[in-house]
Amino acid sequence: MKLTGTVSLRDLEGGIWVLEGDDGRTYEIVGGDRRLRTKGQRIQVEGEVDAGAASLAMVGPVLKVKSYRPLR
Amino acid sequence: MSILRLNGMVLLAVALGIAACSRGKVGPTKGASSDDPSAQIPGAIVVDFKDGTTKAEFDAWEKDWGIDLEFNSIEGPQDGVTIAVGVEDIEGVLTKIRAHPAVEAAEPLKRYQATFTPNDPDFPKQWNLRQIRMPEAWERSRGKGAVVAVLDTGIAYDDYQSFRMVPDLKGIKFVKGYNFVADDEHPNDDHGHGTHVAGTIAQATNNKEGVAGIAFEAALMPLKVLDQSGMGVSADIADAIRFATDHGANVINMSLGGGGYSRVIERAVAYARKKGVTVVCAAGNTGVGQVAYPAAYAGAVAVSAVGPSGKRAVYSSFGKELDIAAPGGDKRAGPEGGILQNTIDRRNPSQSVYESFQGTSMATAHVSGVAALLYAKGAKTPDEVEQALFDGATPVDGKEWSEEYGHGLLNADESLKLIGRSTTVADWRPFLVAAALLVLVLLTLGARQRPGYLNILFSPAFFIPLLLATVGVFFARWAFGGATGAVASAVDFASLPIPDWQRIIFGRGRLANPLFYSALIPLVGSIFAVGWRGLRPVVAGLAIGFAGFLSYAAWARSPGLAYLPFNFLALPWLIANAVLCVFVARAMLKKGAGR
Repeated sequence: MKLTGTVSLRDLEGGIWVLEGDDGRTYEIVGGDRRLRTKGQRIQVEGEVDAGAASLAMVGPVLKVKSYRPLR
Repeated sequence: MSILRLNGMVLLAVALGIAACSRGKVGPTKGASSDDPSAQIPGAIVVDFKDGTTKAEFDAWEKDWGIDLEFNSIEGPQDGVTIAVGVEDIEGVLTKIRAHPAVEAAEPLKRYQATFTPNDPDFPKQWNLRQIRMPEAWERSRGKGAVVAVLDTGIAYDDYQSFRMVPDLKGIKFVKGYNFVADDEHPNDDHGHGTHVAGTIAQATNNKEGVAGIAFEAALMPLKVLDQSGMGVSADIADAIRFATDHGANVINMSLGGGGYSRVIERAVAYARKKGVTVVCAAGNTGVGQVAYPAAYAGAVAVSAVGPSGKRAVYSSFGKELDIAAPGGDKRAGPEGGILQNTIDRRNPSQSVYESFQGTSMATAHVSGVAALLYAKGAKTPDEVEQALFDGATPVDGKEWSEEYGHGLLNADESLKLIGRSTTVADWRPFLVAAALLVLVLLTLGARQRPGYLNILFSPAFFIPLLLATVGVFFARWAFGGATGAVASAVDFASLPIPDWQRIIFGRGRLANPLFYSALIPLVGSIFAVGWRGLRPVVAGLAIGFAGFLSYAAWARSPGLAYLPFNFLALPWLIANAVLCVFVARAMLKKGAGR
């Protein structure tokens, strides 16, 4: 699936990278490289939501990033 | 008849008055003891005279004040500190005394509870430990003998390969754990979250290093179920729950969530609970009204997070499965609002750091730590631990239960006080509400249809069901407290009011069964009473008792009801059923009188 949104670092549990999706939901980002993790960056992600994953973040669905591209 | 009616009004007023008073007591008594560690000793004052004041002098002055002062100790003749007991009008007397030129200070005599202030240099920054009253609680228990399993990213608990034990866990006892992610026996932390959580539960304390932890004499069991990115799978979590249970853990801390409902994990939680383990889980960090799994399972304690002000932190999830609130931090005003513990640097796992975190994970660790203290103090079962946690919690906004705070804010000292008490004090407030409703019902009946007030109350067929429906057999635990097996089950039933029997039948979930918290039982009784008149006083007592119980439950907003799609439906449900019960009672009493 494809998702667009803004990358953000939440000060929770020591720091959690999330994608604030344009669909209004917050996704916990798993995978992707360090460049993805840039605060305020708008990106389009190709990936899948792992509905069965538990995590220490507990901020919302887990988004496993396959690839992404920055949007301008 | 007018006299009877007047009597009725007086009775009603008295009953309502008592009910209101006893309701009013909940907040202040609990609040006072939790806000102020010192307690005033009734009728006692302390007066500090100018140094060198003699006994002969104050013996002469005290006649005007109507009290009998004595030196407090052999220091008296030097420092002039005296005390008096049996003082009736304390404030009045103190005003008079303070006006005397030889008096330096005069005040009520207070008892100071012993507190333990650890020498860890950053303990003063741990507002969270003071918020849950650890300095007093440490005088009661430090967790010795209890085992807490931490299901997380691991713990920096030993030196292995490039992993290093963090300095502020030195001296803490660890029992054998497991790494379910790598399937080996080295559950070292490669993230930092697990070590932080473990620190809140049992940081080395009074060691002149870093910060303090709650149950620092307890043992930790490191179980790694989350990988380096903080993610885990249900099979590992379920396996770890069973591992902890089978290897002697008393408490399981799960500062993790998400992934939705899992039958495998739910069964593991039920297994742990059956074996006497208390399972504590984070409500989640979405900030909305939905508790995450595993916290939402019936067998788990669900924890929300508050900041230094005691208000729910914006990130904390909440909801109808919520049990209790604990400090999770609120860093909006700065890092000092977070929870400070020793952990590892995420980028360099061999490096020790002290970091301020916020999250419902941190709140969860506080509850697990206190649960360990409760086991160490003698609690045997999760029921016992939960009851002490919930009854000891400080109610927020005067509510006995709410979606945001559950039973209130964690209070280690009050909860520890509740362990080892052989009798559970019966709650008479539902009975008083029922008595007030009874008077109301009798007032609405015409003189011919109405039985005498006292005739009714003193008829066992009426009174016993009324008592059973509102308070239960209040002396059962006191009389048969040590019983085991079938007798113990009978005692459990008898000591609960009938609507709460659902707790035994459906397990002690956090939500009440709405069929028991309804007019169903009195209604069914009334059907039988149509044919069998002798049953009518019994059903009347039952119905008025249920009416009182349900009204009180509605008033106290406690607890939440299961199966209802929206929590706000609980209140109308309780009120409607209470009204229904009142009508059943009225019908039963009326016909009974018409015989």
